[in-house]
Amino acid sequence: MQAFLDTLLGDAAGLERQLGYLAGMVVFGAVVVFGFVLPFAGIVTWAERRIWARIQSRVGPNRVGPFGFLQWLADGVKNILKEDIIPTVADRPLFRFAPYVVMVGFVGAFVCVPFSGDLIIADLNIGILYITAVTSLVVVGILMAGWSSNNRWSLLGGIRAATQIISYEIPASLAIFPAVLLSGTLSMQGIIGEQGAAPWQWHMFHSPFTLLGFGLFFTAALAEGNRTPFDLAEAESELVAGFATEYSGMRSTLFFMAEWGNLYVIGALVTTLYLGGWQVPQFTYNPVLMNLAQVGVFMGKSLACVFFMIWLRATLPRVRVDQLMAMCWKYMVPLAMLSVLGTATMMVALPNGSHTLRMATFAVVVGVVIRFAFKVRFHLKRARKLDYTSLSPGASQGLSS
Amino acid sequence: MQGPDLSVAAFLLLSALTLGGGGGVIFSGNIVYSALSLMVSFLGVAGLYVMLEADFVAGVQVLVYVGGVLVLTLFAVMLTHRIEDIKVSNRDVGKLPGLAAALAMFAGLIAALEVAPWKLPAEGVAHEAFASTQSIGNALLGRYVLPFEVASIVLLSVLVGAVVLSRKEVAEPRVSDDA
Amino acid sequence: MNLSNIQSLPFSLPEALLAVGVVGLFLLELVVKRKAVLGELALVITAAVTCLVAMQSGGQQGLLFSGMVALDGFSIFFKLLLGLAGFGAVWMSLGSNEMRDEHPGEYYALLLSVTLGMFYMASATNMLMAYLALEFVSQVSYVLTGFIRGSRRGAEAALKYLVYGGVASGAMLYGMSLVYGLAGSLDYAAISQVMAGLGSGGVDGAVVAGAQPVIYLALVLVLAGVGYKIAMVPFHMWSPDVYEGAPLPVTALLSVGSKAAGFAMMIRFFYPAVSAYDGDGNWLTAAGVDWQSLLVVASMVTMTLGNVAALRQDNIKRLLAYSSIAHAGYMLMGFVVMADDGLQAMMFYMVVYYIMNLGAFTVLLMVLNQSGREDIEGFKGLAWRGGALPAAAMLIFMLSLAGLPPFAGFIGKFYLFAAIIRQEMWVLAVVGGLNSVVSLYYYARIVRSMYLDQPAEDAPGFVADRHNGVLVGVLAVATLVFGVWWRPVVALADRSLSFFTG
Repeated sequence: MQAFLDTLLGDAAGLERQLGYLAGMVVFGAVVVFGFVLPFAGIVTWAERRIWARIQSRVGPNRVGPFGFLQWLADGVKNILKEDIIPTVADRPLFRFAPYVVMVGFVGAFVCVPFSGDLIIADLNIGILYITAVTSLVVVGILMAGWSSNNRWSLLGGIRAATQIISYEIPASLAIFPAVLLSGTLSMQGIIGEQGAAPWQWHMFHSPFTLLGFGLFFTAALAEGNRTPFDLAEAESELVAGFATEYSGMRSTLFFMAEWGNLYVIGALVTTLYLGGWQVPQFTYNPVLMNLAQVGVFMGKSLACVFFMIWLRATLPRVRVDQLMAMCWKYMVPLAMLSVLGTATMMVALPNGSHTLRMATFAVVVGVVIRFAFKVRFHLKRARKLDYTSLSPGASQGLSS
Repeated sequence: MQGPDLSVAAFLLLSALTLGGGGGVIFSGNIVYSALSLMVSFLGVAGLYVMLEADFVAGVQVLVYVGGVLVLTLFAVMLTHRIEDIKVSNRDVGKLPGLAAALAMFAGLIAALEVAPWKLPAEGVAHEAFASTQSIGNALLGRYVLPFEVASIVLLSVLVGAVVLSRKEVAEPRVSDDA
Repeated sequence: MNLSNIQSLPFSLPEALLAVGVVGLFLLELVVKRKAVLGELALVITAAVTCLVAMQSGGQQGLLFSGMVALDGFSIFFKLLLGLAGFGAVWMSLGSNEMRDEHPGEYYALLLSVTLGMFYMASATNMLMAYLALEFVSQVSYVLTGFIRGSRRGAEAALKYLVYGGVASGAMLYGMSLVYGLAGSLDYAAISQVMAGLGSGGVDGAVVAGAQPVIYLALVLVLAGVGYKIAMVPFHMWSPDVYEGAPLPVTALLSVGSKAAGFAMMIRFFYPAVSAYDGDGNWLTAAGVDWQSLLVVASMVTMTLGNVAALRQDNIKRLLAYSSIAHAGYMLMGFVVMADDGLQAMMFYMVVYYIMNLGAFTVLLMVLNQSGREDIEGFKGLAWRGGALPAAAMLIFMLSLAGLPPFAGFIGKFYLFAAIIRQEMWVLAVVGGLNSVVSLYYYARIVRSMYLDQPAEDAPGFVADRHNGVLVGVLAVATLVFGVWWRPVVALADRSLSFFTG
């Protein structure tokens, strides 16, 4: 990005150059936010509903546009037009301000999220640390929202969310370390640069320890994003809608936008740290084509992660609060330590890494995935045989009554 | 550098954030607002670190202070107060004498610090960019390894101590000794 | 010698043993069924650590861990004293009814860790290390102060301690940042070079322009941090409440250990780091900044306030707290003379103070165990209801604290007064002398209560427990012996006054 701006600005110097940088950054940031982040968050809501529906043998939204694709736009317009209600007993300034803090924390992460080898707003030296830091603003926003609503469910939801996020920040941060250790840098592009295009060159398959790190990071990131099975903060059956209970109209949309948009951030982080990022084989020397391919690969991997998270949400039940904490402190933190220490030990013992180990880890993972795929296929086949017509008469009566 | 410079503007903005946040902490009558002003102040300090090219420190500042300290502070406040109860946190006692003392202290400090023979890097020496993350890592595990390790024992002791102090006892309660 | 990290390891065995002890006790608490073992283990560890330190005495000197801490006569002297303080606190805890059921594993581990922190306070030669060590001791002390669960006094004391500590250490950090700005380094060795370069300010010594105000400011701010540790006026306000609210063994440790460690850190910072040695026993302040006059006043105010406030106390813990403030004032007399003999007198006095103050606290602990009282009523007629030996010991400690011959306290004060009279600081000497007279009143009150008051008709008999009795006996004998045969301790203090600056 900086290189691009440099060519654009030519030989301008001093204040003009600085203003040019500033303007360039603002414009590019705006393009990313309005052209990608916000529509993406909307589209994910549609995708999620369709995928759930498919998993639960329902139809899902299918009226607005082809396959109901424009549903997210319709919802968005509806929410913007709705009245923005602020309860009289709420703490008004904080109540109004909270959604923006959440949005800042969420959108701020995109400064360092790469799209391809050249497409990134700013490749900071401390990239991954920056993302961890800036997303911690989300917690503050959630606490503000929960407290200022002056509603028990909101406060409980806010406090639950904050407990969960700050607890899981520890295994999440620890699970970043294996990838950072292997790369020797915190920069997002630097971490991707240390990995290769072939799957076994990804950090994930470096050793069993990094595989563990990958799993832990993914789980902890889910918890940090308040996603099922860790969505206790807005558990509908217990807390209405948690910290967002009192919100309506645009402000509530902002919260949900941050939540669904966060799925992509999680996917992008996992992809960057462990899944090889945008790495593609050097098939052409045309930079535009290269970058397009990289964008495609990166998006593909990230979206696969997003799909997986939606799948999980449709599959897994919610955990209890005590289970949540026990899982974090008793299992994930020690395991994350093990992962860091193990990776460090591996790096000292085998400075160049072991190709055999990589291939073996890769093979095991592929084997597990194939086994799992067969199992899924088996269940799908069996499920298809279950036709409503073949149900017993009594059951169908029960359904119709 | 000639002419106006954006970095000066950035510095002024960040200083204003830091000081304004600090002022909010002190003067706000609502303890939640105080805590949130603290966040503004922390973010301003993080920005100042960035301007000093200490990007790693800035990241850690946000991560630890905003993500950790502040959230726990808010937590404690919100768990112990209901919204109506927290209107008063800072009693205004002697605002004027306080202001006078602060101004006198400020004037004294400025007078002393302005003339002090600070040890500054020589003028005109080219400023080299350096990888602050790497230098901090090397310093922590090299020259400063003893403080680093001692800090871990401090944290361990204090953590265990805090748990001992705060955990609920299953055993029968003791008779309070000031009864 | 100036050793790197790996080379330093063999020379930091005592600290390593303490660290292992801390972690080990935390872990053992989980598996050991009979919790008393943990306290005994802590006792063995402190004893072993003290022996290890003693073995380092007279050996090689140098800076360890790339200049973070010093291994020199001074640090070994204080580590011996602090190791003994830790030992005394563990011993007292083992004999305290109060502490019997209070999470022994964590408690003894915290005692060991506070001892470790004090070791580093005494030996740090780098501002970062010094600050970290100070915070180490403070933080763990807050926990120990409020350790007895359900005690509101303890919780209040811990909170007060925390608030005062936070302010003091913040001020000190600011002062240190100013010193760093002047010196461009955190190492005491580098700081002393820069300070010397700023001029001596003697009769004809030129001073770099603008250096004086900022140095003065920095030193005053640093003084706030260490002054709070040694309970110097005006940073003493926490001390009576904390001494009263904390468990008795912890109070004893705070009064003898953390005060000595604070003095050690203060001496190391104010003498080798920011002052210059002239080669024949005298020290010159950097840039001629006259911080001693400030401390002369502080010393006089500290001892006067401590003694006057102690007059009205009925609670013995509070009384000893004010007495300990007053003693900080006496010890500061040795600090302000800017000469080696003053420092030696201070070091000697600290040994004496350790012995007599720890003894007084142990007698108080015996009374507390028996009657549950810690006010002067608990001592009423102590000598006539079975406590003849403890009462005799208390008599020795009280008279020694007041500075009467032939006890060790007299010799300690003698050396301190000799040092200031040699520098012709008459006002300070007179104020100190008057204060000793005042202090006699409240020490004598305890003695009167023990011997001249008859016990109440229904007063329970006093049965001295052997565990604490042994400690009291040893300390009482030591007070007597050092009162007539003090040469070895003075010789040790003389020998130990050597700073290794690299």
